[in-house]
Amino acid sequence: MLLQRIFAAVLLLACACLALMAWPYQASFSYEPVGPRAYPLLMLGLMGLALIYMLFRPQPTRHSEEEPPLDRQTLVKIGACVALLLVFAGTFEPLGFILSSILIGVPMARLYGGRWRPSAVIISLMSVGLYLLFDIAMDVPLPLGLLDVLEN
Amino acid sequence: MDTFGYLSQGFGVALSPYNLVTALCGTLIGTVVGLLPGLGPINGVALLIPIAFALGLPPESALILLAAVYLGCEYGGRISSILLNIPGEASTVMTTLDGYPMARKGQAGVALSLSAWSSFIGAFIATCGMVLFAPLLAKWAIAFGPAEYFVLMVFAIVCLGGMAGDKPLKTFVAALIGLFLSAVGIDANSGVYRFTGDNIHLTDGIQFVVLVLGLFSISEILLLLEKTHRGQEAVKATGRMMFNLKEAASVFTVNIRCGLLGFIMGVLPGAGATLASAVAYMTEKRIAGASGKFGQGDMRGLAAPETAIGASACGALVPMLTLGVPGSGTTAVMIGALSLYNITPGPLLFQQQPDIVWGLIASLFIANIMLVILNIPMIRLFTRILAVPNWALVPVIAIITAIGVYAVHATTFDLFLMIGIGIFGYILRKLDFPLSPVLLGFILGGLMEQNLRRALSISNGALDILWSSPITFGVWVLTAVMLLLPLLRIWRKRAVARRAIADV
Repeated sequence: MLLQRIFAAVLLLACACLALMAWPYQASFSYEPVGPRAYPLLMLGLMGLALIYMLFRPQPTRHSEEEPPLDRQTLVKIGACVALLLVFAGTFEPLGFILSSILIGVPMARLYGGRWRPSAVIISLMSVGLYLLFDIAMDVPLPLGLLDVLEN
Repeated sequence: MDTFGYLSQGFGVALSPYNLVTALCGTLIGTVVGLLPGLGPINGVALLIPIAFALGLPPESALILLAAVYLGCEYGGRISSILLNIPGEASTVMTTLDGYPMARKGQAGVALSLSAWSSFIGAFIATCGMVLFAPLLAKWAIAFGPAEYFVLMVFAIVCLGGMAGDKPLKTFVAALIGLFLSAVGIDANSGVYRFTGDNIHLTDGIQFVVLVLGLFSISEILLLLEKTHRGQEAVKATGRMMFNLKEAASVFTVNIRCGLLGFIMGVLPGAGATLASAVAYMTEKRIAGASGKFGQGDMRGLAAPETAIGASACGALVPMLTLGVPGSGTTAVMIGALSLYNITPGPLLFQQQPDIVWGLIASLFIANIMLVILNIPMIRLFTRILAVPNWALVPVIAIITAIGVYAVHATTFDLFLMIGIGIFGYILRKLDFPLSPVLLGFILGGLMEQNLRRALSISNGALDILWSSPITFGVWVLTAVMLLLPLLRIWRKRAVARRAIADV
């Protein structure tokens, strides 16, 4: 309940900021009666109303049985996973697809309970395989990064 | 008779060897994607969009591929629900109720093939219904102006809340988030940059694929971290694989009834497979009465939800093709795919590009037959895929998701945006918000704004155009009914509770 109230409050604040941001949106001259400002403001307004209601009367939250309550350990794990994904996004182009996916794939496999050696073998094979599959077989261009030298 | 001419033309398109191979690949990929935890029909279809585009598939083949994946996913989802008692997605919860007990009794093969057969009948009924009704609806929908479209979309959004039932307010907020997100980017009518924060990558808005993969794949990856149970042992599919004639005959009336029900539920926006399977199961349980052994492995209890799921999956394509208004998360993704090809689904599609529409309808027939034929001999292979541990699976899903996002624009900005959206989606999920309304809102948002502005341009700013024509008025009445439904349900629940207290 508390979490939901915090969420509603934060989202409400975001709505207000976005509405402020939308306020100056006006076409310099226009052919139509409705400008670019009306629709976003309408949506933000409706969302604001719903969120205010939620702030005062939070809705029941139902969890499935297999979902354990959040504890410190899972939060740390989730933080680590997000950090790995961010590193992935950051190194995707400079290091290239193959190296960056090995770099984050192996720790990620560890996070989900894999052992070092099998994780390293499978993830390395998969990243090379996926590169070949997508870049060469399916024409989806992927960056090679540091491995650029191998190409020629 | 026109319809049959078009249909045979459609079969001509769908039966070309190239499209047959496409449909075959689609059904295989779909089944595997539906099997794996962490990937469902929505991510599956979304991941394939950039790839289909990169491969340079012509639009009709791309659409056939996506539809085949969609159907395949529904098939794949059942394998894990029957053998593992883990529903792959919300709609297959009902399948586990009688499917898993059947598997425990040593009838796993029969349960799988019977459910494949049921789903085939459901899809067949729905596809026939589509052939009959879609052209009529399309003809009728040509008379729709922007005001009618706007009201129809309001109805579709409200339907989501009214039908989903237990959490109308959360559904509504989720849909509004999607509706708002569609406004990000340059406004096509006036050239004003909205909510871009001077970021060049946001100029043409949030990419659809980025939103879908962030919301569904990344949040699922984070959710999988919490799940403690490890690789539950699958029930071995041994013994007889095929159902026999007697068993098929015993569930035939169930199939027909639930097929019709599922088709109607599928056509209605917002209802979808989850509701259809639940209603079908409950109805059949009531009809069977005391003679049924529902919950302990009754074949009717397995056939009912499966038929309804198959039928509603095809039924959901009707509003998408005829009106351009998607009724479910997956059809919303397909509209996103079509807009990449510059095809706007809607009534005109039936006149301007009959090849695409009828090719798609015909390929639904073919994909359904393929799935039945493929599923039965390949069940053993599919069960082996279920044994892949999470630690090998999840990083690969993360990597493939990143490829899908990168393939759209080849910028790393999209990757960061996807992670951000994924974290947001994870928070929404933890707070028990449904995610597919966000997606529907995102797709409908752009259309809604355009139609609203066009309608008001026609009337020169007078708002009464939005309710003056009989069609718009009728739809508003339906919308009001849908808004009242959850209130009515809450009120009735309270009355029951009060009576219970009074009785004590």
